[in-house]
Amino acid sequence: MEDNSSQNHNGQLDPSGGGNVSNKQNDDGSQRTQYSIPGILHFIQHEWAKFELERSQWEVERAELQARIAFLQGERKGQENVKSDLVRRIKMLEYALKQERAKFHKLKYGTELQQGDMKPPVFDDVVTDAKLEADAPFTSVSNISWRQGRQLLRQYLQEIGYADTILDVRSNRVRSLLGLNNNAECEENLNNSSPAVNGNESSNKRASETQEAAVMANFEFLSPDVDMDDDDDMSDDLDDQQDDETDDVKTAKRKNKCLMMNEGLADDVDAEAEEVLNELNLLTESEDAQNELRAPGGSPSMGFATSSRRPMGALGDDEGLDSSLGLGELAQLTVNNEAEAAYDIASSKEAYRKMWNAKYTLRSHFDGVRALAFHPTEPVLITASEDHTLKLWNLQKTVPAKKSASLDVEPLYTFRSHTGPVLCLTMSGTGEQCYSGGLDGLIQCWNLPSPNIDPYDSFDPSVLTGSLVGHTDAVWGLSIHNQRMQLLSCGADGLVCLWSPQNKVPLLSTFSSPDDGQPTSVDFVHNETNQMVTAYNSSHCVIYDLETGKPVTRLETSQAENISQDKQINRVVTHPTLPLTVTAHEDRHIRFFDNVSGKMVHSMVAHLDAVTSLAIDPNGLYLLSGSHDCSIRLWNLDNKTCVQEITAHRKKFDESIYDVAFHPSKPYIASAGADALAKAAGKACCSGLFKVKLSRGIVK
Amino acid sequence: MKMADGVTMLRRNRPGTKAADFCRWPDQPFEEMESTLVVQQYIQQQICHDPMNVTQILTPPESQDEGVWKYEHLRQFCLELNGLAVRLQAECHPEACTQMTATEQWIFLCAAHKTPKECPAIDYTRHTLDGAACLLNSNKYFPSRVSIKDSSVAKLGSVCRRVYRIFSHAYFHHRAIFDEFENTTYLCRRFTSFVIKVGCADFTLNSSCFRPDRAIHGGSEMIPVKDNEDESCFLVTKHSPWRGKYKRIFSIGTAGVTTYNPTNMEITNRWPYSDFMGALPGPNANHGQVSLA
Repeated sequence: MEDNSSQNHNGQLDPSGGGNVSNKQNDDGSQRTQYSIPGILHFIQHEWAKFELERSQWEVERAELQARIAFLQGERKGQENVKSDLVRRIKMLEYALKQERAKFHKLKYGTELQQGDMKPPVFDDVVTDAKLEADAPFTSVSNISWRQGRQLLRQYLQEIGYADTILDVRSNRVRSLLGLNNNAECEENLNNSSPAVNGNESSNKRASETQEAAVMANFEFLSPDVDMDDDDDMSDDLDDQQDDETDDVKTAKRKNKCLMMNEGLADDVDAEAEEVLNELNLLTESEDAQNELRAPGGSPSMGFATSSRRPMGALGDDEGLDSSLGLGELAQLTVNNEAEAAYDIASSKEAYRKMWNAKYTLRSHFDGVRALAFHPTEPVLITASEDHTLKLWNLQKTVPAKKSASLDVEPLYTFRSHTGPVLCLTMSGTGEQCYSGGLDGLIQCWNLPSPNIDPYDSFDPSVLTGSLVGHTDAVWGLSIHNQRMQLLSCGADGLVCLWSPQNKVPLLSTFSSPDDGQPTSVDFVHNETNQMVTAYNSSHCVIYDLETGKPVTRLETSQAENISQDKQINRVVTHPTLPLTVTAHEDRHIRFFDNVSGKMVHSMVAHLDAVTSLAIDPNGLYLLSGSHDCSIRLWNLDNKTCVQEITAHRKKFDESIYDVAFHPSKPYIASAGADALAKAAGKACCSGLFKVKLSRGIVK
Repeated sequence: MKMADGVTMLRRNRPGTKAADFCRWPDQPFEEMESTLVVQQYIQQQICHDPMNVTQILTPPESQDEGVWKYEHLRQFCLELNGLAVRLQAECHPEACTQMTATEQWIFLCAAHKTPKECPAIDYTRHTLDGAACLLNSNKYFPSRVSIKDSSVAKLGSVCRRVYRIFSHAYFHHRAIFDEFENTTYLCRRFTSFVIKVGCADFTLNSSCFRPDRAIHGGSEMIPVKDNEDESCFLVTKHSPWRGKYKRIFSIGTAGVTTYNPTNMEITNRWPYSDFMGALPGPNANHGQVSLA
């Protein structure tokens, strides 16, 4: 080949390496002397590359324009819907006005006003619009139109990809046009306007391949404000991904998890569960056309989960829920039922907020944390541990941790005075004192330091205000009655003592019942004055009158005569308002009793291992239970179903979780474990967290 | 209270357990323990079994990671040291012990603050223990309890050093408390052995100017060399890389060489002649320097 003329023809020579060498016609080479084969080759290659580049540019442009078209079409539809809505409104208002006039006229003149047709306006025009519901905004969606709408949604979604923010903006804009926003209008309005909105949005979303995505896309409208947070959370929480969330989550597994997630039968839970799925799906859509929901199952088990897969199946079996709301259908994620299920939910807004996500890890104890108590008003809690100390924590003072979304908290103050493991703890109603009981048989009274102190301040001996001496053996249970400023304690010496710490002689009275064994837990009966309930390690449970010291009611816990450790009651709590007592048993059950009759109202297998602790939220709606199976479960007290499970804490010897607690006024829960950690969770937008987990799964 | 329901034995302290029955379950061999906290379980079990048997408590099981072993022991020490702190709280008032000292020569500054501060003794104790808790539990240095980063192992040494000073302060200034605590828990003895085994002995022990192991191992090491009669004594200045220069009385006796602290005439060191290998004139023989090996 002559390479001396290879430089001719084009100024640019593309290197021939790497690219496709298309078939070059070398027929010209021999005829024209000024062209050489390499030159021609180069030229053709160059042109080809140029064409390819242009083609890709065209494609991009075309895609953009298509997107724009779809967007504008959607907008147009939206406007049309808005217009039709407004027209509807106008008609209704006109009709109402006519009626008023007629009434007025009748009243004034005694005759009927001739106004012509006084029929209520017919909204025929709306029906013809295939995507929308036939009725006025205040009626619920009909299934057929909804299905049609979904089909269309899917179709549109298939065409283009659509970012979340645009949807947010749009839905917000439409809502503001309609005069609807989340706070101002009632829930129904919102729900029913979303179908209208759907028409708009539909063109803007591409349908996912599975049914869930389409439904989830709809759910997104149920909580638009949530979406705004997503982007922010995503970047922060990208590191949060748990290691065991793998990419190959099978759909079956996911269904299981959805089953778990949806097991809470409460109406409000459905929306939140779907909300979760919704968020996840949206993220998959935006990132990946294939929506394998990798992490939805994992994330609802909340941030604590180290083995998030494990409890799901078990929980599913345990609960065996069949929802009248079509929840079971939703759990199976079939096509037909999801939409109805979604729209059967009346109140969806607050629902998702009830999911807890792991937020704080309190590390500082050297041995298992046996008890914890929240401050009544501040986000402050105190933990008591087997390392003989109590520690004061302020949840607002967190240590920036680089790795996880879970925030580490460091203690502000360490209470040292016990000479043995501290076993129980209670906080006064004012938050100024707390009481701790330990293996050394002493109950120490502490004045709480301010939550803003410097952790390394000088020692203030006045923090320990005194100790209550009375028990001769370990003190296992403490409970305080805030109004009466009285303290109940029970110990391994078999005594239950009533104290009034302010008095000169604090010990007011003692109760003992040797036949029942050792008292393990005490609580004041909250809806009655002057009563308290004591639980024993023989699984008996008795309500006493405080004045007389005599048993009032004996709760029917077990028929067995012998004192057996198997059914020992580990904790007893009374409901704040109802005459209900709840007991946590060593045999994995939680039992509910009526205080008046003593009869057992309900009994359920709550965990896979002994249930160790109970807490009722201040409103009396939820029950939190902790168990040695390393899980905490949140129960709805109305229908006694589990709405959430959190896996937390590791085992030391055979023990795992010792205590759980609700904050009396703020949305916090906490758990104390044998692994020397206390964990606290707050309520926050759960969706952000879920989204993040999903995205990590995809990235992997 | 253990529960033996036939086959499984649950090692649990259920509510209602008496203090005497706390953690009273049969020992579990190390190999059979399955949990992430095996090392802590094992150590606590050994201590419960026999707190005086220091060697056995400090002996790691086979194939146990050394870093984790040290870490868990240090946690256990800080845990148990709380008992000493509680006792000191009663007696060690800031007015009495305004500084953290052991002997008169050294004042220890509290490192828990941004700039080291001269805290009263009780504050030093509390801050040190709290700081140790913070460090040993920090997610940054010790994120896991089953594996320790090599860079974090170095931190253990500094914790040891500071913690040791608590012992030395208690020994010198609150002797009664120290003795009572030591007789029940044997903690100082165990800690000293631990520190020597672990290898941060020099820094730890010397900087605390305190050798409690000598003090309490039967006290035999502090009595003079047997049958020694001091023949001639010299007031000398001892040069130490750690502690600078300080005065000692150097006494050559019939059976060995002894050094005394001139302020209180306590024996600080003694070497019987049997320990000597040789004596050579030092480089400046004119000035009378002799090297003893």
